[in-house]
Amino acid sequence: MKRNTLVLSVVLLILAIFAWAGWANFEYRNQAAERLLASAAKGELVVDASTGDAKYVSPLMGKPAPAFALEDLSGKTVSLADYKGKAVLVNFWATWCSPCKIETPWLIELRNQYASQGFEILGVSTESDGVGKDDKAAWDKNKALIAKSVQQMHMPYPVLIDGDSISDQYGGLDELPTSFFLDRKGNVVAAQLGLTSKSDIEDNIKKALAN
Amino acid sequence: MIVRMHFGIAAAALALCVFVPLTPAQTDSESRSVLKGAPVEYMFPEQVTVAAGKSSDIALHFRIAEGLHINSHTPRDEYLIPTAFAIPEGLGVHLQEASYPDGVDLTLPSDPSNKLSVYTGEFVIHAHIVAEAGDHLVEAKLHFQACNNTQCLPPKTIPVAIDVIGK
Repeated sequence: MKRNTLVLSVVLLILAIFAWAGWANFEYRNQAAERLLASAAKGELVVDASTGDAKYVSPLMGKPAPAFALEDLSGKTVSLADYKGKAVLVNFWATWCSPCKIETPWLIELRNQYASQGFEILGVSTESDGVGKDDKAAWDKNKALIAKSVQQMHMPYPVLIDGDSISDQYGGLDELPTSFFLDRKGNVVAAQLGLTSKSDIEDNIKKALAN
Repeated sequence: MIVRMHFGIAAAALALCVFVPLTPAQTDSESRSVLKGAPVEYMFPEQVTVAAGKSSDIALHFRIAEGLHINSHTPRDEYLIPTAFAIPEGLGVHLQEASYPDGVDLTLPSDPSNKLSVYTGEFVIHAHIVAEAGDHLVEAKLHFQACNNTQCLPPKTIPVAIDVIGK
């Protein structure tokens, strides 16, 4: 009897240890999965080992583009949802980014070429200088600089400000220019990081229009 | 005997439960981002000894990561962010003036008509300082914005730690 009680106690103790170990293991795996997910949410420029070409791999591919509503230069709030039904190129750029300025004339030409098919570009200025609306003087100065740049480059499409506020949703935007091509349903069908070529951009626009 | 068997089974199961290798999702080991790591590093000096209360010139050496450039102190385009060195006030060391090297001309392959004024590789900034007597651990700052030929990193400020001894 005494021996049976001892065995039962030991078995119960072991079961309790199993339960605890299982729970701890489950928690550990959950945390590891979350860490992996967080790191994977960042876009990466990946070098193709065979060609040596760098290709941007975005975690947003095939997914609905993260919703946003940002002010344009006139202070009007522009929402991505306003463009549902159109193929959209969301182009993150900055006034200090020389490759962005090389790309802009291509974007303008392509926008004018494909606008009639239901294509639009949203230029999202991402100055990354830590200036927020609470610093009104710096905010206004930034806005004036962006407006001047937009005017000089004759950008015909909406230019939104404060892209930094949506940077995380779009994979971190550690480098500019970064572009996302959305189909008419708002899904990301292509993404580009850095200056590529006008023909690459055009191919992605066609992809966005085709879906 | 039964107790020993129970213990054996329990121990084996416990070992399996606790020590099963946690296999993370497969990652592409060949993947790499091109612009990772520090774009600019402060190299030396870590410590300088200067005459207290007198103007002294110290040469600060920096290194830019391979493949990147940063704007010179006098970029040609008004939108570009100049490289700038600063020492916060109140640390016992006053920056009178910083002398920057001339930028070198760089033309991006996609825009041959435009010349940028940049620094690449290693460069030296001469800081003209006046230090009070004593040992001052100064955390100066270098502000810059780096790019390669096709993409740009956000503007950044890095600390420049120098132990300035005024004698």
